[in-house]
Amino acid sequence: MYQLSDQQIDYIFDDISARGVEMESLQQNLLDHVCCIIEQDLEANGDFESFYKKTIKTFYKDELWEIEEETLLLLTYKNYYTMKKIMINSGITAATFFIIGSFFKFMHWPGAAVLILLGMVIGALVYLPLLFLFKKNETIESRSKFVLAIGTINGILFCIQSLFKVFHWPGANTMWFVTLGLFALVFIPLYFFNGIKNPANKINTITTTLILIILAGVFFLQTSLRPRFSVQKKTIQSDQHMEDSYHYASEQNQISYNLSATDSSNNKESHEKLKLTCNNLCTKIEKLKFYFIQQMEGDSSISTISYQNLENSGNSSNYDFPTSVMFTENGDPKQALKTLKEDLINFNSYISSTYEQNSSKLINLSSQEDEEGITGSWEKVKFYRTPLLCVLRNLTQLQLDIRFIESSCIKHHCN
Amino acid sequence: MIYSSELLKGTLKTIVLKLLADNKKMYGYEITQKVKELTLDKIQITEGALYPTLHALESDGLVTTETEFIGKRVRKYYSLSPSGKTKTKEKVSELADFMDTMKFLLDIKPKTA
Repeated sequence: MYQLSDQQIDYIFDDISARGVEMESLQQNLLDHVCCIIEQDLEANGDFESFYKKTIKTFYKDELWEIEEETLLLLTYKNYYTMKKIMINSGITAATFFIIGSFFKFMHWPGAAVLILLGMVIGALVYLPLLFLFKKNETIESRSKFVLAIGTINGILFCIQSLFKVFHWPGANTMWFVTLGLFALVFIPLYFFNGIKNPANKINTITTTLILIILAGVFFLQTSLRPRFSVQKKTIQSDQHMEDSYHYASEQNQISYNLSATDSSNNKESHEKLKLTCNNLCTKIEKLKFYFIQQMEGDSSISTISYQNLENSGNSSNYDFPTSVMFTENGDPKQALKTLKEDLINFNSYISSTYEQNSSKLINLSSQEDEEGITGSWEKVKFYRTPLLCVLRNLTQLQLDIRFIESSCIKHHCN
Repeated sequence: MIYSSELLKGTLKTIVLKLLADNKKMYGYEITQKVKELTLDKIQITEGALYPTLHALESDGLVTTETEFIGKRVRKYYSLSPSGKTKTKEKVSELADFMDTMKFLLDIKPKTA
């Protein structure tokens, strides 16, 4: 029976570590095991080193770390079914959340954002990584594993960038270009050249690659349609200009009244009536605009119209809002809109009778063609199923028209 | 005759569990020696198969461990947990059933004395 010294035990321990066994409990198990064998089987005066080397060789086929690898394999195999279950369930959950969320968003129902967010996050951060882990074990080649990894990263990026896009978070465009670039310039070529090598997969690879290229093309097409946001900014800018023009025209008319008042006194009365009529009508329209803007922003304290400061103007949930205010469910104009039209008709007849204006200088309230070429009444074409910003623009245009007619009427007096 | 490791692979868990059920607590070397002794050297459990199995049983919660310091080294004793005890009975009866089926399948006649 051999007696091991502390140095010899250290020597064995160091050797086990050096041979690539890293799990502490496995190191201790193997150390104790080797020590037991040596103590039992080596004679008291035997050669420790050569006996140890002979013994440790019986533990493995090629390398000692095979034991650790086998241990880890068994430990992960235990989790295999749990992981597979989680993967499938997370995939179903993500898809369900996403589909229901999209439907909610389409219908403008509350909760859409949360559902989409949950669906995307579960899909990108649970399902796809797990899918990668499983698929990774199915392939042996490290090249295929690499292609799979790139594909997974691409999928995750795609989900996350869609989230950025849906929620209008900053950086969505940059992410989109990174995702598309990775997809078209890295993933597709890698996939193609990796798959084409295997004669059995040749046709399959070519078909899939073609589909992927078409997909990349469709995505790229979407990219060119992207500058919607800046288009909206520009529209808002021109809305603001129109608003400013209206105020300028109002001021100019006021100046004209003041000037003409000093010239002749006989026009004073009719000037006053014109001024009052125009101001009343413009104020009425202004009130309607304020009502829309206050409702849209959810802030009843707004007292000046500044398009740049509107936060919800791009929000598509405001789309049908003016329609619900101005029209009944059957599409007939409500009383407020009827009154407005009556006021405008009265205004037209007042102007034409007093100033002998020809009809081209009156407000055009006749039936008009809409953008699809269908003829409809004035109020339908201008306001029915029209986005809020366009309704506001049409109302400002109306105010501007009134001020122009007013201006030409003042001149008429002067002549 | 020493049985091939392929044959032992599916039964190793059962062997270890049964030994622990009969011997309360054992350490790795002891298990290999006990198997050798009981089978008259016919079954020799390799270290490469034993320790991965012990670790898997531990992570499954079928065995519990306690450590003992022997000079500079640590000895890990394995013993059955309550769930390990029930699992042992299941595993042993499953294997017995399996052996019967194999006898029938391979048409092995009982040895006549």
